[in-house]
Amino acid sequence: MECVVQGIIETQHVEALEILLQGLCGVSKERLRIHELCLKSGPNLGAVASEVRLLCDLEQPVPTWTVRHVGGAMRGAGAEQISVLVRTMVESKVSKNVLRFFYALGYKLDHELLRVGFSFYFQRGARITITVTSANKMLKLHATEEAVPVTPGIQLVEVTAPAAADNYNEVAAAVSSFCEYLAPLLHLSKPGVSTGIVPTAAAAAASLMSNGGGKQL
Amino acid sequence: MASSKPSLASLRTSTSSPVPIPSPNVLPVMLSSKLLPEMEAEDNLKREQLLLGLQNLPIPAQIEKLKTRIDMIAAACESAEKVIADTRKAYGLGSRQGPAIVPTLDKVQAAKIQEQENLLRAAVNFGEGLRIPGDQRHVSSALPMHLVDVLSFGDGTQNFADNSGAYPKNTPSSMPSGNINPQGSTLQAPGAPLIARSVPSPSAISGSTSFDNASTPPLPYANSPRPGTSMMNTPSPQQQAQQQQQQQQQRQKMMQLPQQQQQQQLLAQQQLRQSSTPGGLGQNSVQQLQDLQGQSQQKFQQVHGQHQMQYSQSLGHQQFSNRQLQTSHMQHNMGQNQLGQGNQLRSHLGQFGGTANSALFNAAQTSPNSQMISNMSATMSSQTLLPRVQFGLSGGHSQRSHASQILSDQMFNMGAANTANMVQMQQQQHGQQGGFGNMQTNTQNLQSGMVALQSTQNPNYPQQRQQNQQ
Repeated sequence: MECVVQGIIETQHVEALEILLQGLCGVSKERLRIHELCLKSGPNLGAVASEVRLLCDLEQPVPTWTVRHVGGAMRGAGAEQISVLVRTMVESKVSKNVLRFFYALGYKLDHELLRVGFSFYFQRGARITITVTSANKMLKLHATEEAVPVTPGIQLVEVTAPAAADNYNEVAAAVSSFCEYLAPLLHLSKPGVSTGIVPTAAAAAASLMSNGGGKQL
Repeated sequence: MASSKPSLASLRTSTSSPVPIPSPNVLPVMLSSKLLPEMEAEDNLKREQLLLGLQNLPIPAQIEKLKTRIDMIAAACESAEKVIADTRKAYGLGSRQGPAIVPTLDKVQAAKIQEQENLLRAAVNFGEGLRIPGDQRHVSSALPMHLVDVLSFGDGTQNFADNSGAYPKNTPSSMPSGNINPQGSTLQAPGAPLIARSVPSPSAISGSTSFDNASTPPLPYANSPRPGTSMMNTPSPQQQAQQQQQQQQQRQKMMQLPQQQQQQQLLAQQQLRQSSTPGGLGQNSVQQLQDLQGQSQQKFQQVHGQHQMQYSQSLGHQQFSNRQLQTSHMQHNMGQNQLGQGNQLRSHLGQFGGTANSALFNAAQTSPNSQMISNMSATMSSQTLLPRVQFGLSGGHSQRSHASQILSDQMFNMGAANTANMVQMQQQQHGQQGGFGNMQTNTQNLQSGMVALQSTQNPNYPQQRQQNQQ
């Protein structure tokens, strides 16, 4: 399971966000360049199509592959009260044959995406991962070199943390409190719920970028 | 005048004499009623300060004096406040009551950002706006590094979710083109779901084709000499028509990128085939061949796949048609699923491999013809494994009765070594009818075409294939 929230930030403020995250997390960022292939199962595998995502990390010297299955989100009154989305998720490292393997099973490529950006890790109550990426689409199949951003001016910020059935409440609380640190720059919400940008983002970004930091009276 | 309630801490610190600390329950009550001796003493002290000099006057006088004091203080406060306000204005500090002005976005900008946000969220979470339509789903010339060794030639384009065909079978993993497998397994599937794929189909498929037998009888086999006697060896008209139909269908499918119209045409074609009983041998096929020729040529131009272009351009009309017919002999809706997906490899292979495969099929289906068989073997030997692909492409086609076994055998051979394919082809030799009968071309053209076909093979083809060729 994982707890996840998403938010958007204008591309011009991404650098300020990086500074803020650097300060919060204490570790340096990790570059991200992930080719995400979303496969859907064919009719031979059942009436309900299932979806898996293959993530190829292109930043490594040798591309590493990960398979990821995202399940349904928790629903109900209790889920609505939690400010993060809690959903099942299974992830595993795989070899590079995973694509052919799934094709042989009968999965078909539904869409693909190239995500370029950076990520930070933060440990407080839970191992929180913050990724700031721009989503790029490929006009030609598998042409990752020629990917163009889906929305050039806006990037996606995703905060996730792994959780288990018995501790998802604590993890959700940890994620929420972490998100409050980012409040001056962006608002985070459950995936699918739009947030808009934050009006104080420009001022917060300016103050983060300036050398003096906070102003003293 | 009332003194403020002293906090418990101040009580402790300010009293000179130790004050017994009341219990928590009692303290609030004592505080509110000022019963604490501390508070009382404080109260007295303050009263004395206020009424200094007024104690001796009568009460009304004291009241008057206190009122004037209050008024004076009020006036002083007002003037002070006025001064402060003036100073604020002078310094531009803003009014005290209003909160800091929050920079707001104008509506237009906010709407634009909202729209962008929706796009981005939908793209990342659901993949909207990222799906490439089926006809554009072909692998571009340069695969990125991380996919080059992952996807064998033609793998990537096969599996697209927009193809709704049923893929009951999975090909063995040894097969180089793994994508073909799911489609090839549609042997059991009825024709209808297969047809749903976007596969090019001959535009004009008419069951009743008027073919003038006297003038140019179709050649049952590409390599066989022209005389009409070869028709005697052909299988029943229905069978032949079916074979021809299938050949054409296969050819078209393989050559072209998937298109909706083609699917429908193919479907129509198939339906026509099944129901129609052509009057003369090869009538349907001939007509279809003509149609196919036109179509295939047109479609060839559309094809922008690397492989396809290379070899289509090098072929002449007749060669092209011959090949197509032969490949279409494969019958199953090969092209339906896979071609629809724009698998260049497939179509490429289909075009090339058709000759060998179709020859074999034809031989297998028809009564043995010594000429044909010899031709077939000649054809086969000269051909490489290209036909392999065809096998896989031709999915389960329900129309086939006798050919289904052959097809299934061929399909399973797809991943096999060349020798295996060759063997299978040989097995079918005897039974096949001259599937080439569709071609109107003379044998020479066909043969030369086949040779040319081999020579123009796509260098991108997997190595295995190239070994077999010539």
